[in-house]
Amino acid sequence: MSHVTDMKVLFTRLFSIKNGFNNIRWGTRQFSQDSGKSVQTLPPLSEPMPNLSPVIYSSAKSEDSITEVTVLSNGLRVASEKKFGQFCTAGVVIDSGPRYEVAYPSGICHFLEKLSFGATHKYPTRDVMLRELERHGGICDCQGSRDTTVYAASADSKGLEAVTQVLAEVTLRPQLSTDEIEAARQAVAFELETLSMRPEQETILMDMIHAAAYKGNTLGLPKICPQENVYKIDRGIILNYLKNHYTPNRMVVAAVGVDHEPFVEYVQKYFVDMKPMWNSEDNNSFTPNVDKSIAQYTGGIEQEECEIPLYPGSDLPELSHVVIGIESCSHGDPDFVATCVLNMMMGGGGSFSAGGPGKGMYTRLYTNVLNRYHWMFNATAYNHAYGDTGLFCVHSASPPNRIYDTTIVIARELSNMAGKVGETELRRAKTQLQSMLLMNLEARPVVFEDVGRQVLATGKRKPPSYFINEIEKITADDIVRVAKRMLSKRPSVAARGKLTHLPTFEEIQANMTLNKSDTSPQGRRLNLFRV
Amino acid sequence: MLKAGLTLKLLSKHSNNVRLLATAVGYKQALVNIPPTRLTVLDNGIRVASEDSGCATATVGLWIDAGSRYETSKNNGVAHFLEHMAFKGTSKRSQTDLELLVENMGAHLNAYTSREQTVFYAKCLANDVPVAVEILADIIQNSSLAEPEIERERGVILREMQDVESNLQEVVFDHLHATAFQGTPLGQTILGPTKNIKKISKADLQQYIKTHYQPSRIVLSGAGGVEHERLVDLATKHFSGLKNTAYDIPELAPCRYTGSEIRVRDDSMPLAHVAIAVEGAGWTDADNIPLMVANTLIGAWDRSQGGGANNASYLARAASCENLCHSFQSFNTCYKDTGLWGIYFVAEPLQLEDMVYNIQKEWMKLCTSVTEGEVERAKNLLKTNMLLQLDGTTPVCEDIGRQMLCYNRRIPIHELDARIESVTAQTVRDVCSKYLYDRCPAVAAVGPTEGLPDYTRIRAGMYWLRA
Repeated sequence: MSHVTDMKVLFTRLFSIKNGFNNIRWGTRQFSQDSGKSVQTLPPLSEPMPNLSPVIYSSAKSEDSITEVTVLSNGLRVASEKKFGQFCTAGVVIDSGPRYEVAYPSGICHFLEKLSFGATHKYPTRDVMLRELERHGGICDCQGSRDTTVYAASADSKGLEAVTQVLAEVTLRPQLSTDEIEAARQAVAFELETLSMRPEQETILMDMIHAAAYKGNTLGLPKICPQENVYKIDRGIILNYLKNHYTPNRMVVAAVGVDHEPFVEYVQKYFVDMKPMWNSEDNNSFTPNVDKSIAQYTGGIEQEECEIPLYPGSDLPELSHVVIGIESCSHGDPDFVATCVLNMMMGGGGSFSAGGPGKGMYTRLYTNVLNRYHWMFNATAYNHAYGDTGLFCVHSASPPNRIYDTTIVIARELSNMAGKVGETELRRAKTQLQSMLLMNLEARPVVFEDVGRQVLATGKRKPPSYFINEIEKITADDIVRVAKRMLSKRPSVAARGKLTHLPTFEEIQANMTLNKSDTSPQGRRLNLFRV
Repeated sequence: MLKAGLTLKLLSKHSNNVRLLATAVGYKQALVNIPPTRLTVLDNGIRVASEDSGCATATVGLWIDAGSRYETSKNNGVAHFLEHMAFKGTSKRSQTDLELLVENMGAHLNAYTSREQTVFYAKCLANDVPVAVEILADIIQNSSLAEPEIERERGVILREMQDVESNLQEVVFDHLHATAFQGTPLGQTILGPTKNIKKISKADLQQYIKTHYQPSRIVLSGAGGVEHERLVDLATKHFSGLKNTAYDIPELAPCRYTGSEIRVRDDSMPLAHVAIAVEGAGWTDADNIPLMVANTLIGAWDRSQGGGANNASYLARAASCENLCHSFQSFNTCYKDTGLWGIYFVAEPLQLEDMVYNIQKEWMKLCTSVTEGEVERAKNLLKTNMLLQLDGTTPVCEDIGRQMLCYNRRIPIHELDARIESVTAQTVRDVCSKYLYDRCPAVAAVGPTEGLPDYTRIRAGMYWLRA
């Protein structure tokens, strides 16, 4: 039967076309050799392959979410969790990131991200290592935030030993050859160039708002490698950084979907018995030198007057961007959950964003801001939580001539957080936060990261049910208390684009002071915005 | 809200998104460690398919065999317009009621239209599945299509058009379809031309629903915490009202492929965006599997990944070592009876010629001299990538819905495995010789395209005199 007839039969069946008249001409393809026959001799994909051995499917099981933690002799923590399914995600979560770069040229962690999963002592090239992972159907990835670096790989759990070995090699015994460092340098340079050419500003703005909030210290240090450091960072600097920061007590090796005992054994073998490349000699007397300072929130303003690239080929107008931030709390703080609920309640997004109901269209930044001020293109709330502090911020964008109004509107909206909290909006925010938490945990790598980060921060993992309960307990009073606590500090502001109309820092601050209805208004007030 | 084609894109494995890192499932073991997909056909022809993983959350959705391909030049854009009207209220509930209901459940309701499929889906907590199914049933059966909303939505769609135009990849793919399938419905865009958007009326929308939203063309798909029996009960309860009415379902005309090109030269842009493709295979064609292996052999890369010299793809090595482009991505887009197989890349004006030369060199190697070792490696990557995409309830639900429409079944994972396993270097060479070797390509380019070789030269690169 020719392939073409096959298709006709297939579609007739598929769509139960009442095919009384036979005048449909299926596209007979003009192939010179053989008109329309598949090269593959197998049946079409719509029909089962013959002679396949039968399989037994599993049925749904309840999630087995007890996290086991073992501390090895050198202080390295190993955490694992069993999970339905025979495959695993494993990785190393390290207390390392740009916040520790104060004594080094900024940008090392940016380089390390590019250098990740390169050649190691065991694997002479990246290619050899990737092939090893591929044999177990695995892939790998490295990414960092301001205070944590994560190396992770997913593969068949039969390949757990190989995966553990790969992870140990890339974190403790990378070669970092000159060629690799040059390639990373090029990749970093390309990324800087791409960042400056793209209309999306989020990455740059997040660096700027952190720089404004924590001036010159810890979390305020740049995550994006500064241009002048691209050619300054070398092997020696990177190795020195690794030696001081990739130490056992700053690391958690975590896995999801594995048995704990064999995993601990592999970790012992590859992470403890085999030594890192940097302490092969002398090193019993070596004491790591790490910046232990606690993040100092300063507040203030960072601005950059520049041309923001337009979306090519479209008539969307030029935009200026403003982020206003205030200090929130660390992820260990009792107010952390309330802050997350507040973040959900503020919500927001693009004035024109994809997605139907469920994207948060009844959050405050939509109902009070985007729906009222048509000129605003974007208003989104974020909460960044770290080990010793947190930063709650709202990013907004509008055409340059509206940036004054935009900034003031956002500032006022932030100060309104200390005002009345409606029962409905609170209930909605709580449910949305709960469902968001559960939906995110559908993905195995998210579970892995959650386990790794929690164990790194606290030595154990609180299960999702704990957070679901905590969210449920939040009351309107909690929200107001948290908001007042945040608003008692001076704000941080980051702005980028054409900024002629940007209000002064003092003006923004004046619009964010608590109890402003009692005091006389400071700065310029528009009638429009009077409470 | 719009997905251009159902492209089987290769996930870039160095992507910065940890989610992509996902479950590279131990393949052989996974065979017995995923729940089966169960299928029930209701009396009126609606197919209900689900995979129950017992998870705390779930995704349920409607996959409808209708899209811009079923439109004419007169009503092009209707399918997409309808997608926009879906959340604007029904005879049972107003737009605000609908939005509040969904938001208060912490659920997400979404929709998209492609050239051959229209999709509405909801993601929610497992307990809320009954409400979600009821909402989906309501929006496709009782959409109120009120005149004022239609008027307002015109503006929104025109605004969305600007958004699409700002995404050059989508622009290039629209041009690629317009040239490769010129004069056929597949050449039309999903949004439709401005003049159609401005005049589509309530009657057009109703007519489209009447013709195309036939129960025999609808799949209700579910994944996550979804019990099959309960889903079937819910479907019976909410969808039995739907009857197959239109017996004159428009015949799907074959879409003729034409090797040709479109260049939109704009020297004010810094980079050129180019797609080159040949006609690929339709959804059900068994050749699709070797084509996807070939696709994996070409791979995807962007220059912020660096590390080129050790990349599995030769083209990625060449691109990074010789600075040929900013990014490239191979694609295999399938339709019912045809497809597009090719590559999309972004490069500086002076790199275009070298990039095209390297692409065609790799393509010719696929036809003539690809080795077993390379094919083995690509097969492993392909398997991993295919499983990677199935992490979480939404991707699984999407996979079920799409496969039910394309294949009228869900290909069991072990069969997919066996099919990929059966590909050898010889199969890849044969399949590429058939689809690629000495074929007329379709070319679409936007930006500073002066340096892109002429069509005749690109055509001449599709064969080797010495081969």
